[in-house]
Amino acid sequence: MAQLTETSRSMPGPRHSAAGGKRRRFRADAAGKQQNAGPVAYVIIAFAALVSLFPLYWTVVAASRTDTEIVTPPTPLLPGSHLIDNLKIVWDQVDMTKALINSTIVASCVALSTVLFATLAGFAFAKLEFRGRNALLSVVVATMTIPPQLSVIPLYQIITNVHWVGHLQAVILPSLVAAFGVFFMRQFLSEALPIELIEAARVDGAHSLRIIWHVVFPIARPAMAVLGMLVFVQAWNDFFWPFIALSQQNPTVQVALAGLGNGNHSVDHAIVVTGALVATLPLLVVFAVLGKQIVGGITAGAVKS
Amino acid sequence: MRTSGRTRTAAVIAVAGLATCATLITGCSDSKDKSDKGSNSSSGSSDQITLRIGDFGSFGYDDKTGAALFAEYHKLHPNITVKEDATSDGQRYWDTLKLHLSQNSGLDDIQAIEVGYIAEADQPNLAGKFEDLGKVANVDDWVSYKEKQATTPDGKVIGLGTDIAPTAICYRKDLFQQAGLPTDRDAVGRLWAGDWQKFVDAGKTFKKKAPSGVAFIDSGSGLFNAVLASQPSQYSDASGKLIYDTSPGVKTAWDLATEAVQEGLTAKLKQFNTDNSWNAAFKTSKFATIACPSWMIGQVRDNSGPALKGKWDIASPPQAGNWGGSFLAVPSSGKHIKEAEDLAKFLTSAASQVKVFQKFGNLPSTKAGLNDPAVQSATNPYFPGTPVGKIFAGTAAQIQPAPIGKYDGQVKTFITDNGILDMEQHGTSKEKAWGNVQALVKDKISE
Amino acid sequence: MATSVRATADGYPPPAKNAPSSSPPGDGPPQGWRQKLYRFDTKASPYAYIAPFFLTFAAFGLFPLIYTGWLSLHQVELGAPAHWVGFKNYTRLWDSSFFWTALRNTFTLGVISTVPQLMMALGLAHLLNYKMRGRSFFRVAILAPYATSIAAASLVFVVLFNPDYGMINQMLGHLGVHGINWETSKWPSQIAISAIVTWRWTGYNALIYLAAMQAVPGDLYEAAALDGASRWRQFISVTIPSIRPTIFFTIIVSTIGATQLFGEPLIYGGGVGVSGGSAHQYQTLSLYMYEKGWTNNELGQASAVAWVMLLILLLIGAVQLLVMRANRRKVKG
Repeated sequence: MAQLTETSRSMPGPRHSAAGGKRRRFRADAAGKQQNAGPVAYVIIAFAALVSLFPLYWTVVAASRTDTEIVTPPTPLLPGSHLIDNLKIVWDQVDMTKALINSTIVASCVALSTVLFATLAGFAFAKLEFRGRNALLSVVVATMTIPPQLSVIPLYQIITNVHWVGHLQAVILPSLVAAFGVFFMRQFLSEALPIELIEAARVDGAHSLRIIWHVVFPIARPAMAVLGMLVFVQAWNDFFWPFIALSQQNPTVQVALAGLGNGNHSVDHAIVVTGALVATLPLLVVFAVLGKQIVGGITAGAVKS
Repeated sequence: MRTSGRTRTAAVIAVAGLATCATLITGCSDSKDKSDKGSNSSSGSSDQITLRIGDFGSFGYDDKTGAALFAEYHKLHPNITVKEDATSDGQRYWDTLKLHLSQNSGLDDIQAIEVGYIAEADQPNLAGKFEDLGKVANVDDWVSYKEKQATTPDGKVIGLGTDIAPTAICYRKDLFQQAGLPTDRDAVGRLWAGDWQKFVDAGKTFKKKAPSGVAFIDSGSGLFNAVLASQPSQYSDASGKLIYDTSPGVKTAWDLATEAVQEGLTAKLKQFNTDNSWNAAFKTSKFATIACPSWMIGQVRDNSGPALKGKWDIASPPQAGNWGGSFLAVPSSGKHIKEAEDLAKFLTSAASQVKVFQKFGNLPSTKAGLNDPAVQSATNPYFPGTPVGKIFAGTAAQIQPAPIGKYDGQVKTFITDNGILDMEQHGTSKEKAWGNVQALVKDKISE
Repeated sequence: MATSVRATADGYPPPAKNAPSSSPPGDGPPQGWRQKLYRFDTKASPYAYIAPFFLTFAAFGLFPLIYTGWLSLHQVELGAPAHWVGFKNYTRLWDSSFFWTALRNTFTLGVISTVPQLMMALGLAHLLNYKMRGRSFFRVAILAPYATSIAAASLVFVVLFNPDYGMINQMLGHLGVHGINWETSKWPSQIAISAIVTWRWTGYNALIYLAAMQAVPGDLYEAAALDGASRWRQFISVTIPSIRPTIFFTIIVSTIGATQLFGEPLIYGGGVGVSGGSAHQYQTLSLYMYEKGWTNNELGQASAVAWVMLLILLLIGAVQLLVMRANRRKVKG
């Protein structure tokens, strides 16, 4: 099989751009067109990060307070001292450990399978010619328009009939209808995957699986990482269907959250928020790990035209 | 192109992960089956059985925060373990329960039903899915109006009563004094005894000399609910048909509540609003009275804070009504019907109800429970000197049963949230507000 | 140089036959049964790749869709037998002022929460594409809202938008604007909900744009910089056109999401969430459908709403496809 050289498109550029009226710092390193961010960029991004993180920060604040402290104005902005107590209460009220394990299983399975199916299907829609392609693609997009709140009823009927109620399968399988994923991978691959690569491989006698493994997957890697992250989070945060299909005996974290905070005719917001915090932290870990896969600024597997 | 070592590792992990998922998907996780409606054997009471009870909010049964009834039951029946499946949102609990009932799956051995939904559960569609508990328990043990609520038109009793919530009036002694009204609870009770109109009139008197910024009552909706609860004719007639627009009870409550709104007697609050404005208003003394079902005592105490301790008192209402309460029902599709029924009887027995009352304040619904000295003599440190138990138990004894229907809850929401609250928040006229209610009923409820 | 980027932007092979010359032909075209296998592989493999998706769709997507359609022609309560009513549920919708309110709300909420959001996401993605210190941290940070559980996030925003004590009104008070009620008034409540939606989803879309930007070749930027283009100019003239298909993609997905807006207004409203506020000021079509199906026990009518939503989306989708096709023709020609 021929070696498809992994080259990047761009050539090393001048160290400083002397041309043009606008004097912008421009540096290209060997790998590509990495420009440095200017001060304006830093300010904007920092502000966006602040706005994005503030509610999360406040979740930590609220989780370390009591319910009275949260609901009584003025709203507390600094952490309190009740975090450990609240965590104890959370584990008293629901089986959070089991919930975390279940959610990890569910979200991982959904993410892995979805990414795999979506990449295969996305590749087929993007680059392969076959009869009915456009019609089937329209069907894929159409499936995204089904509102989930209503489809739970026939779905529950199906799940009951196959005796999956209360089991994790009930939550994993229906989530695999990954129209978004297919659409997303198709979009990405149609831009990022030049047809020449595939044709070159075919000429060399590679069959489809080989092409997938050696050509498609490497190029699709950033998108697969992104899709994996998004799908993982979606499966993790799904609260509507799991609440119907599972119970507190075998919960995911969102189901467990629904059972938290039962006070005497009132909801203990501090406990609910603490649970929400526990539910959110694993996601941030996943981000940190998968985020490295989104390689910055380098196109892999390109072909010099 | 070279497959790097890193890619290969990723590949191995991915394949292993998918294999694990496939195993799970094909249902090899049979270890979960044990939690599916009790354990394997259904015969012989000497086998280990796990009973599951599904409920919402605060029933006060559990071992950690409640009256530890589950542990007690386990001592009495060592082969039975009880597990609770609690949800904090009562509406979500009910919606999900309905879906589960429609497929007879995902149900617990005992399912709690709130009084707001019991009429729906009495309908043949749902009632057929529950056991007739009238056959295993003595209905007369409970106050008469309670079990009537859980009785279907053909006499089947689908739920055993847990608690009730007779409604009194909580008032601020200090604010009443500033406005020149009596402060002793008997005198206050006499101010408006027998007639809710007198209550509204007392409000007008209060307003004349009230400290500035203090309304008489927290919300028009609270007043509406309290008045309606005491009427013999409410949203539906005896056959379950919706008669809200002709019902004299609804008219009385609507007229009085809107009068209070138009006279500026309410603090225009939405009870239990998620933005906590209602909770905050206790502390800042935005209102002097609030309709107090027995469970509201805890809210009054927690929201007002220690600074106002001793300033609140409880007086008898003009007319007695009930606002709240629940039932325990046993789905017929369960695997341990007899054991579930026994547990339900235990949890709703007078002794258990008294224990829950002492821990959580939920008022018993059994006659024996209400007459128990522990209840009769109950007090609350936040209301020093007030015979809390006596007032509520006494009010309970005066409640007249009224027919309920399955649309009651919805109509109640329309009237309180879209009618009265709309008048308070947007200044809508009384006629237009009622028009809104009618339009909503026409759109949402098909007869 | 530009041809290879543009022409493959939508997945069609470039018309010119630039046969790849990077390597000499190996064994030549396969012979005999190998040839048959090869042709079978080329013809059949696409179907094999899309099969997993369509199988799960048939079970978990198609059946609910058809069942909902069937339900919409009946009057039915959950668990009870269904009564045939033909199209009565649909005509009821046409006559119902609440339906039109929900439709209007969905539209306004959709526009307010989607348009600024996508624009900001685009800008953020472009900025994140630069080399900067702490880039990984920032990338995680802007995706953090998407990870924050919706219950916790809504609680935060409810507190923020509290008319008496919330920070927003306090800050506005310093600017001289007083007493905006962020829940009971129509436009403030929709702005508040849009704020929640924008906060939650901007990072999500930014990440998608970022992934697409990885495929934009660096020499395009080089050339633009050499021509003296400022960064803003590069953004407008290089980045945006290069990821145009992805932008269309996010517009389609965001439109679908906006039409189905459910969780944020529901939790924002708390007790009156399902009805979208006491005057239905922020009730979306999804909430209206949920209310019909679960609160009012009218599954048939709820299913009709669901199918109307479907038809609306198909309509919008058709329009967007036409626009895309016109755009593609413009590119090719």
